[in-house]
Amino acid sequence: MVSLTIDDRMLEVEEGKTILDAARQTGISIPTLCWHESLSSAGSCRICVVEVVTNGKAELTTACNYPVEAGLKVSTDSETVREARRLAVELLLAQRPHSTIIQELARKLGVEQLGFTLTQKECILCQLCVRVCYETVGVDAITFMAQGRDRDVAEPVVLHSLDKCIGCDSCAYICPTEAITVDDVGDTRTINTPGGKLEFKLKNCSVCGKYWAPEKQLEYIIRKWNLEPNIFDTCPDCRE
Amino acid sequence: MNDVIFSSWGGKVVDNRGQAKPGTVENLELPLQYDGQRLTGLMSWKGLVVTDDKVNVIDMAHAYMREVQKLSCGECSVGYIGVKIMLETLTRIISGEGTEGDIELLLRLSNGIKGNTKCDFCALAVAPVLDTLNNYRDGYTRLIASKGVVPKSDYITRITSPCMEACPAHQDAPGYIELIRNRRSAKALELIRNTNCFPGTTGRTCVAFCEDNCVRGDVDKPIAIRALKRVPADEEMAGDTEPQFEKKSADGARVAVIGAGPAGMAAAFNLGQMGHQVTIYDEQSAAGGMAWVGIPAYRLPRDILARETDIIKKMGMELKLNTKVGRDITLEQLSRQGFKAIFIASGAHSGRELGIEAEAELRDGGVVGGVEFLSRVTTGEQKIGEGRVIIIGGGNVAIDCSRTCLRFGFKEVNIVYRRARAEMPARSEEVEAAEQEGVKITFLAAPVKIVTKAGVVTGVECKRMELGEPDDSGRRRPVPVEGSEFTIDTDMVMSAIGEKPDLSLIKGVSISTTESGTVVVDLASNQTSRPGVFAGGDCVTGPATLIEAIAAGNRAAKNINQYLRSGAVAPSEDYVIESWLHDVARSRERVGGIVAPSGRQSPEELATLDRKQNFNEVEQCLSPEAAAREAERCLRCYRVMLLVTDSSN
Repeated sequence: MVSLTIDDRMLEVEEGKTILDAARQTGISIPTLCWHESLSSAGSCRICVVEVVTNGKAELTTACNYPVEAGLKVSTDSETVREARRLAVELLLAQRPHSTIIQELARKLGVEQLGFTLTQKECILCQLCVRVCYETVGVDAITFMAQGRDRDVAEPVVLHSLDKCIGCDSCAYICPTEAITVDDVGDTRTINTPGGKLEFKLKNCSVCGKYWAPEKQLEYIIRKWNLEPNIFDTCPDCRE
Repeated sequence: MNDVIFSSWGGKVVDNRGQAKPGTVENLELPLQYDGQRLTGLMSWKGLVVTDDKVNVIDMAHAYMREVQKLSCGECSVGYIGVKIMLETLTRIISGEGTEGDIELLLRLSNGIKGNTKCDFCALAVAPVLDTLNNYRDGYTRLIASKGVVPKSDYITRITSPCMEACPAHQDAPGYIELIRNRRSAKALELIRNTNCFPGTTGRTCVAFCEDNCVRGDVDKPIAIRALKRVPADEEMAGDTEPQFEKKSADGARVAVIGAGPAGMAAAFNLGQMGHQVTIYDEQSAAGGMAWVGIPAYRLPRDILARETDIIKKMGMELKLNTKVGRDITLEQLSRQGFKAIFIASGAHSGRELGIEAEAELRDGGVVGGVEFLSRVTTGEQKIGEGRVIIIGGGNVAIDCSRTCLRFGFKEVNIVYRRARAEMPARSEEVEAAEQEGVKITFLAAPVKIVTKAGVVTGVECKRMELGEPDDSGRRRPVPVEGSEFTIDTDMVMSAIGEKPDLSLIKGVSISTTESGTVVVDLASNQTSRPGVFAGGDCVTGPATLIEAIAAGNRAAKNINQYLRSGAVAPSEDYVIESWLHDVARSRERVGGIVAPSGRQSPEELATLDRKQNFNEVEQCLSPEAAAREAERCLRCYRVMLLVTDSSN
């Protein structure tokens, strides 16, 4: 166990936990956007910043990926923290003004008016989709194409690979800004991504005839778990 | 020291605006000219310097942010969106569309970015823009009020980082580390190959100057850059795919390269890409030079090097092996065969002699040179080893010899080094590995005589040493202790006290050499004293590292290309500015900001018992998970510098 102080409260936390874990454990609320309990932390949205005192100096850092240390002093609600969070959410809102989740965050953080406008983008580059596809689904179909020197992209983008994608829609499920959406119409699933549309053929149930899952996803599950090839001929509703 | 009108260099503001004449700034030695034009200003992470009233710092701030925006990766909201909005705001201001609130907005954004970004890049990059806001605020206010449009100027951009400057080849480490983090191996390799055509080889054996100058090293431990480089190289090999290269043109001249080592191969690779027809001559039976003969297989498996030299050859070059220039063909003959330029990259393979009693007559009997021994092991001439061996020296060759001897069946392997452990030039990890495997090291002892019985080596008589004052190399000089002679029994003596070039190839040709037996070149152009003949790598520097040789090859290719296409051998303006930048950009300043602790990932190694009887590769590749964790530690310390000259505005 490690003991640290958050907002003047002494706590004992298991080693290996993050500041965010520790705060939530004690009921101290820290807002997040690009964090998900089942995935690794990216520190990309900068909403969960807190102040950490090192060598007598307070510095900002993200709570989602900062491991607890003995004697750490953290403040989650100083004016510096509040201004940093406000700026981060304003910037995100400038990028994606119609996102209800960002609007809600802005309201909670007391942001009333935007100081600037921007060409609107659907994606805020939080990489939740990249992480869920790689870490949870195990497919790695989505690549974060960073901008930089000698790069092949004019601006950063998350890109689906049609070759690898199995059409499972986890990315659409986890996307906080509806930059990725899914439509099932007839025998076709369409995943709409910032990089374009991906189409998948859906499999129909041999009993009820309903189209119920992408063929590519079912093939992936059969391969991965070494299942009987015909196990998915019937949908879950019609299975014993 | 330069005369300036304004400077915030190094955080210290010197303001001479409105003064009769410009003042000076300490610790700033700007190159005064670029491309024949007077330098009038520069903007960088270290601050803003203006030497002429004509420079418009607001336009410069805009141009600077445009470069920053291109490098801002997109991995964090504050850096990426913040920089984008700063750029859009500055664009409005210089286009006559600025509004009153823009200055406050820029201040708020740059302060916000400085305090809350994921990596160091954007945080450090906004510093000079803040300098303009704090020191040229009137200028901003006037420009916004007048709705004036600023005339366009051209700027020269340089992008660097402390690790890139520390690397002789200036490899874009932050760039490929980021690509590795995003699991884009092919693209990472492409980026590496822009400046280093031996990714798998250097990913295993590089001394990694970059890691010594890694900013993360000041926080906890440096990024394992060398180990990371190996990851995409191994992945490409496992995937059995081969990179495709594009020749930029095919209208070049014929060039002869002497030596198929790292310098020669790198030069040939680049010259091929630039459209020249290259023929490489090498006396060995395989390409790779010292990497082939001198680096043991347990550090660099032969198939890795062979594959990389094969890939380089695909750039289109003729490789003439088993051909020693100076023996099988002369330099004069090469000139007469129509080669328009010759690049000498013959390395430094001749072992220095110990210069002690009984050494000369026992050469190749009980006394052998270290590199010679390693080379014989590589070519298969060395069949077995038995008995005891003493290796004299404390460098990487001595360590390589010792570990190779153990693997070759020598029962006792003893290194004798005249200074102490701290002074050993060999990499400390290598020294530790050798000791783990069973190599004994006798420090502070130097050989004085080889002891024989009936013409057979039985031991080495040594003298104890103590450390005196530092010598030219900065290491403490060993001083003999009188009357301290002692003898170590051995069956064989190996000298590994340094190598020098074999210059027989230029015998009788008017090419200047130094007293220590290296080829003299003009450092900026690589040309020797004979026009059209260039040289680089170990034959110029004396024994150095793989990456220094690769860098020499890259640079020589550029210079040879310039010579072939324009006849010029003058140092390019790039060279002048880059030499200066090399000095200022090595410094490892951070803007502060706390970094979440995260331990350095080390590659797995074979257990000592599993490795010391064979030549299996000791160090393994980082796992994909470890590589991702390691790449995540990079602080991405890119630095942008913008220069403006008289001709730009």
